[in-house]
Amino acid sequence: MMRRKRTVGKVFSHSFLAVWVVLCLFPIYWMLVSSLKDNQEILTGIGLPTQWLFKNYASAWGKGDRVSLYLLNSVIDTASTLVITSLLGFMSAYGLLRMRWKGQKVVFTYILTGMMIPMHAALYPLTVTLMPLSRSHFSLIIPYAAFNIPITVLILSGFITSIPYELEEASCIDGAGIYRTAFTIILPMMVPAIATSAIFVFLQVWNELLLASVFASGDLLTLTMGIKQMSGQYQTDYGGMCAALVIATLPSMILYCCLSKQVQKSLIVGAVKG
Amino acid sequence: MKRVLSNKWSIAVFVLPTVLFFTYIVIIPIIKTAVYSMLSEIPAIAKEDSHFVGLDNYVTMFTQGKRNAWWNTDLGTSAVINSLKYAASSVFIQLPFAMFIALLLVNGVKGESFYRNIFFIPVVISSVVVSLLWQRIYKDLLPNLYDILGMQMPKGGILANKDTKMWAVFIPVLWQYVGYHMLLMYGALRSISTDIIEAATVDGATGARLAFRIQIPMIKPMLKVCLSFSLIGSFKLFDTPWILLERSNKSLPALSMYIEMFQNHKYSYASAQAMFIVVECLIFTVLLNVLFREKKEKYSLPRKETA
Repeated sequence: MMRRKRTVGKVFSHSFLAVWVVLCLFPIYWMLVSSLKDNQEILTGIGLPTQWLFKNYASAWGKGDRVSLYLLNSVIDTASTLVITSLLGFMSAYGLLRMRWKGQKVVFTYILTGMMIPMHAALYPLTVTLMPLSRSHFSLIIPYAAFNIPITVLILSGFITSIPYELEEASCIDGAGIYRTAFTIILPMMVPAIATSAIFVFLQVWNELLLASVFASGDLLTLTMGIKQMSGQYQTDYGGMCAALVIATLPSMILYCCLSKQVQKSLIVGAVKG
Repeated sequence: MKRVLSNKWSIAVFVLPTVLFFTYIVIIPIIKTAVYSMLSEIPAIAKEDSHFVGLDNYVTMFTQGKRNAWWNTDLGTSAVINSLKYAASSVFIQLPFAMFIALLLVNGVKGESFYRNIFFIPVVISSVVVSLLWQRIYKDLLPNLYDILGMQMPKGGILANKDTKMWAVFIPVLWQYVGYHMLLMYGALRSISTDIIEAATVDGATGARLAFRIQIPMIKPMLKVCLSFSLIGSFKLFDTPWILLERSNKSLPALSMYIEMFQNHKYSYASAQAMFIVVECLIFTVLLNVLFREKKEKYSLPRKETA
């Protein structure tokens, strides 16, 4: 009796989960097959394409002025942001949690309050402050980096306090200065934590729309804003649009496929950001 | 050693760049927004002509009458109420659903890591891609589905019809974030000591009873994170509705703020709306903290005596 009840339960949970797997994957499957079809076929069926139209990708990729350009811009913005947040995040986490001084707790709390502040609230003054930079990548890199520093510091802080102080003592006795100790002894040990924070920041920045909608224009359009604009022009070419969506999704997808554990971990740690 | 670690000069080198940068780009703009929200309208960016008006902009937000999208006398269409509706659907539909999946996975289903990895895929996709993808689904696929089911499409399409609009925006958001909440809850459920679960099972608690009496109460801290995540997410919701709904739609606070700011150039009024969103988020954060502190004291398990 008990056993039978359990089998029923198992069948139920598996079928429930299977339904959700299908619902989860169907839009992605549909995006993939639509990117290889023409309009007529997209509108009439959900099966595999009869003719695989790879030219949709070619037309979305463009001659240096479409998705290829947006992709390049997003890579530049995201990579620069990651370098800044990782470097400043590490340095300030070191200074705030490793070194000894009055007021370190206050400054730490001050930086963490930044996590509670939505970008919406700073939007207009930022557009004024960053106006002189509006024709360069810095108009996005600077606010992206600044708004992602608090979460980076938080993630790193959990890790940096667990490193034994003996390391610093030893390197101090060996005659290394504080900068050398921080950058050649502690920094290499922090790589896993920096990777965790970097993955979180990567997903935040790569997918950001609000600031990009204000600062990115013309040649500086990022992927999110670029494909949003394309959706206007491409109203008549659904296949090309879907191809653009696939291209925009690929980088984060590849990251997730290679490092799914890491990605999940960093999003769990980053969830406190809200 | 100690001298090295409290050298003022090196502390400044480590900490000061970040503090200055953060202050200049994050904190000062917030303060400016707060100030602008209490000024009379700023013509363009020069602010010579504006003067202090106190909370007038905030009052205007809530008293403009029938044609005001922010707070309408006809409550059904106001931005603030809409965002509360999203918050409610998120809390009462999305979170229980995520919890259910997390419980199924944690209570021993074969292939749980396979399921978990699949459910998490939508989370890493950009919300812009998700919205555009669902836009295509609504336009290209849904009419066929309605045809097959022999039903009529809602008037004007699912994204324009005022009864279906909200759900048309909610579904992509749900689809994208269920996996996130599921993973958070799953992680917390996993970390409950197996001793406790075993003891409860020996005592005869299984299934729903085990879930409601033991597992859910024990992951309250994570529930708080999920709740604040979905509440704040709803108040700030921008990407999905901005893409899915027609231009100049002001049916949500962030949309309204954006349009007042960049289309109508009413900077002070938009700043007041931005501040309202911040304050709303803060109020609910505090509220959740209070709520979860009380409950924790009432129901916490008695400390294990160490013999």
